[in-house]
Amino acid sequence: MSKGILLYARNNSKIDYTKQAYFLAKRVKNILGLPTSIVTDSELYLKTQFPDCEKVFDKIIPIVWSENSNIDGTILSKFENHFYKLYRDGTISKQKLAFKNQLRSSAYDVTPYNETLLLDTDIVLSNTNFLHCFEQKNNFQIYHESFDLAGFRDYSEFKYINDIGIKFYWATIVFFRKTEENKIFFDLLKHIQDNWNHYKSVFQINQSYFRNDHAFSIAIHIMNGYTEGDFASSLPGKLYYTTDKDICWDIDKNKITFLLEKENYVGEYTLASWNDVTIHVMNKFSLNRCIDKELKNV
Amino acid sequence: MSNGFLFYADGNEYVTQACLSAMSIKTKNDVSISIITKNKILPKYQGLFDNILEPLWLEHDDSRYSILNRWKLYHNTPYDKTIVLDTDTLVLQNLNLWWKFFENYNLFFLNKVFTYRSTIVTDNYYRKLFETNHLPNLYSGMHYFLKSQKSKDFFALVELISKNWEMFYGQFCKEYYPKYPSMDVSFSIASKILDNDVEITNNIVNFVKFVHMKKNIQNWKNVTGEWHDKVGTYLSPNLDFYVGNYLQTGIFHYASKNFLLDNIFKKYEKFLGI
Repeated sequence: MSKGILLYARNNSKIDYTKQAYFLAKRVKNILGLPTSIVTDSELYLKTQFPDCEKVFDKIIPIVWSENSNIDGTILSKFENHFYKLYRDGTISKQKLAFKNQLRSSAYDVTPYNETLLLDTDIVLSNTNFLHCFEQKNNFQIYHESFDLAGFRDYSEFKYINDIGIKFYWATIVFFRKTEENKIFFDLLKHIQDNWNHYKSVFQINQSYFRNDHAFSIAIHIMNGYTEGDFASSLPGKLYYTTDKDICWDIDKNKITFLLEKENYVGEYTLASWNDVTIHVMNKFSLNRCIDKELKNV
Repeated sequence: MSNGFLFYADGNEYVTQACLSAMSIKTKNDVSISIITKNKILPKYQGLFDNILEPLWLEHDDSRYSILNRWKLYHNTPYDKTIVLDTDTLVLQNLNLWWKFFENYNLFFLNKVFTYRSTIVTDNYYRKLFETNHLPNLYSGMHYFLKSQKSKDFFALVELISKNWEMFYGQFCKEYYPKYPSMDVSFSIASKILDNDVEITNNIVNFVKFVHMKKNIQNWKNVTGEWHDKVGTYLSPNLDFYVGNYLQTGIFHYASKNFLLDNIFKKYEKFLGI
C-alpha cells in the first residue's frame, strides 16, 4: 500500500502557498520519512523559485484548466469564482484576499497514494504523531476537537458549525484510504460544493465564503445518517492551532515561537514557545516570514 | 402480563398533545395505549387509545396543582407494566428493546436526558434544585413501573409527599424551594427517602434516549424566544423527524405548548389514515 502526503497550494496576490508547501514537504521527509505530492496551479513558479522542488516533491500535480477531463490532473472551471476573505497579520493588520480553496474535494481522485494524509500547507510539522494514522484501522480520520494555544478565545465556532448546527470537523488535516466508502464521501463532498448555496442555507451557514471545514462537516454528518456516527474517527494526537491574530515569530528545527494575542490588550502579545508540537498556523504572513528565515539558514 | 403506554391529560391542550404522541407511538410500535382524562377526545382520535379512562378521583382541579393527581396513575393503569409518558412527547422509534430492558426493574426513571444533537445534558440550568439539595436527578417525562410490592411502596410514599408537598419540599428543598409541586421533585424526594436511586435508574446505558428540548440546556450561546424559533424542524413523509439537521430517535420531549404545528398532525394522520 502506497502512503504519502497530499498538499494543495494555490497562491493569491500576497500569500505564497507553494513556499509553505515546499517547506512542509521538506519537514515531512525529515520527520515522517514519507513522500509528498503537491496539487498546484503554479507549477512553473514552483520550479523557478525552488529548483530542487522535483526532489522535494514526489509528484507535482498540475491543475488542468478544463471542464472535460480530470484524468491527468485536477480539473477546474475557467469560470471559477474566487471567494475573498480577511487575512490578518496579528491583531492590527488585515487585508481581504482571494481564498482559492475549492479543490480539496478532488483529493480522492488526484492522490497518487492508497493511504493519504491531506494537509494544509500552514501546518508546522514537528513530531511523528501522524505516522500512527497509517497504523489505525479507521479509513477516515479527521480532527473534531482542537486546542487554541492562546487559551482565552471563544472557540465555539470550532465545536459546531454554528450555534445551533452540526459538529465541526477540521478539513485542515484528513487521513483517508482509497475505499468505496471514502469514494462516496468525496463524491458527496463535490455534490455539496456544487450545490453550496443550497447546503449553506439548509445548514444555516452565514459565512460569505466557501469553507472546506463546513463542507467536510456536512458530508460527515450525512455519512453518519444525520446523527452521531462512526464514519469519521479522530486523528492521533491533538490539533493545536494559533489564529491569524497571533504572530508566528520563529521556527527553529522543532521549536516554534509565537507572539500570542493578549486578552483585552489589542496590539500586545505574549511570547510563548513549543517544542515538538505540530501546530496549525493560521497567520500565513508571519508563517512565510519564518519560512523565509529558515530557508535562508539552510 | 399486559403492558402499555399511559398518558394523563388534564385539559384539552394536553389531550391534543396526547393524541399526537399516541399517533407517533402507533407508527412505530404495536403496543397498547391508554389515556386518563376527564376531557373529551375528538372522535377521530378515540381509536388511538385502547382505553380511555376517567381519573380514579380528583382532588386538585387547579391546573398548577393537577400534577398532584399523578401518583394515582399507579392505581389507575390498566397494565401490569406501564410506561408513563408526558403528553408533549413524540415517540420516534420502536421501543421493544426498551420494554425488554425495563424487565430488569420494578421502577425505572431517567437520570439523564439528551440534547437534539445527541449529547448528554450537562447544563444544570433547570436542575439546580436537585444539585444543591443533593436529590437524585430524576426525570418523570418518561418512567416505567411494574405492578409489584416495591412499586406500590414507592407510590405510597409519593402519595404521602404529594398530599403534604409543602412540608416535604420544605424539608428536602431548602434551596430553590419551588412555587408549585413537580413530579420530578416528588419522585426524587421519594427516592432519596428510600435510598433507591441506584435501583430505579441506570447511569451506563444511553440507548434509552429522551431528548429534552428546553432551550437553556441545548448548549446554545444565544438563547432567545422558543427553541423552535431558533432551530429548524422537519418531519419527512415517512415520519423521520429532524431538528437542526439531526435525525431524532428515542422519545422527543418538545416541552413547548407552541410547538405543535398543523403539518405535523396532518403528516401523522395521513400516515395512519385518520
